[in-house]
Amino acid sequence: MKVAVFWGCRILTSQYAYEMSVRETFPRFKVELADLSEANCCGDPVKSMNDFAANYLAARVVALANNTGLSDLLVPCNRCHFVISEAKSFMAKNEKTSKKIVEILKEEGLDYNPSIKIWHTIDFLHDFVGLKHVKKAVQKPLKGLKLATHVGCQIVRYSELGRVDDAENPRKLDELVRAVGAESVDYAEKLDCCGANLMLSHVDSALSLAGTKLSIVHGYGVDGLVVSCPDCGLMFDYKQKDAGATVGAKLGFPVVYYTQLLGLALGVEQEKLGLHLNQSPVDKLLSKVSA
Amino acid sequence: MGLTDLTSMAKPNLESREKILRKLGGRELVNCFQCIKCTSGCTALKLLELKPHEIIKLVNTGFVDELASSDIIWTCVTCLKCLQRCPQRASPYHVIMALRNLAVEREAKVPEGYLKAVSRILEIGLAEGVQDVVTRKMEILNRESLKLPKITYPKESFQAAFMKAMEER
Repeated sequence: MKVAVFWGCRILTSQYAYEMSVRETFPRFKVELADLSEANCCGDPVKSMNDFAANYLAARVVALANNTGLSDLLVPCNRCHFVISEAKSFMAKNEKTSKKIVEILKEEGLDYNPSIKIWHTIDFLHDFVGLKHVKKAVQKPLKGLKLATHVGCQIVRYSELGRVDDAENPRKLDELVRAVGAESVDYAEKLDCCGANLMLSHVDSALSLAGTKLSIVHGYGVDGLVVSCPDCGLMFDYKQKDAGATVGAKLGFPVVYYTQLLGLALGVEQEKLGLHLNQSPVDKLLSKVSA
Repeated sequence: MGLTDLTSMAKPNLESREKILRKLGGRELVNCFQCIKCTSGCTALKLLELKPHEIIKLVNTGFVDELASSDIIWTCVTCLKCLQRCPQRASPYHVIMALRNLAVEREAKVPEGYLKAVSRILEIGLAEGVQDVVTRKMEILNRESLKLPKITYPKESFQAAFMKAMEER
């Protein structure tokens, strides 16, 4: 199967570990990835400023996917996944505005196609590839690892839109963690937000949200936190020291992308999964796996 | 006749309220019965005192101008819990987004992060510029040294189209 991929901004410009691990793991399930060329921002920051322009940007991404001739579009970023899904629903319900957007797209020779299916890495692996195939492909089960999952906000809410997993009790990421042989624990703060969106307006509050969640999860004695969104990766991994400093906690807590974990279980070299790029001390977690 | 905020003597502006309702396109704002489910689960309440149920009430009673010029509408984390849990389909999230859009139209103060993101989209198509990263062993790497494909940026025709879209309301 071949799917188009829209990486968004954050993965392409700094969260390289996520990109590398998706590029390494997906082909092992016979999934070929085709990058969109000349892609734009999904429209997320623009939603706060001009809803029409935000929907135009999201519709342009769908139109670029249509250009590839493929019918499925993988969107590994939670935020992009939400913005594009909401724009698709908006376009279907508002004929007049939708017409205007389609006209602007035509000026660039682009065609909007509402039937393009949007996937996130989590539902693609869980529902399309399937847990059975993920389990089968595992070469080095991650036995003995006890992990907490953080699924993020925007791929599970709001349900009316049709999301990747249940809004109040998401299980897919946990099931995927178990499929690679690790343990996934349940915890009360599972749905707490990483705060990334506030980085645009209230940096200290954003860091304090991330720091609070990190210190709580760290306190549960798990080996690490598993994320599946570049915003959550940025807050919990890349900004971990700042987040800890904001809440007065000294954190040294491994944070990995699910696709990095999957790659380890599939036997992919650590460097190919970008595991040298994580800023949190993932070596602690890695030594447990290789021991 | 009607309401008056006794501390500021402000009166409701029903025209502004209409504007927000139009932007919401049929979301059932007036059905809010102040159950406070939104506020009790609000991520930003803990740190920034955002109270979504108050925002809904203020819009319903017509105090929209005050909200559009207030910083409080920019404290939403967009975690979408309020909208998910609202039993009346009133969606505080969408109300806050509509208020932000109105604030931009009125050239009220907008956090710099948003302005920068939009100007970067105009410039390169993306909201963020490509960055070098440092490994835990202090090695500086970039897309090229990580053997990641080159980014292809949108052409000038995109800029013209995006400008046009930004002029629509």
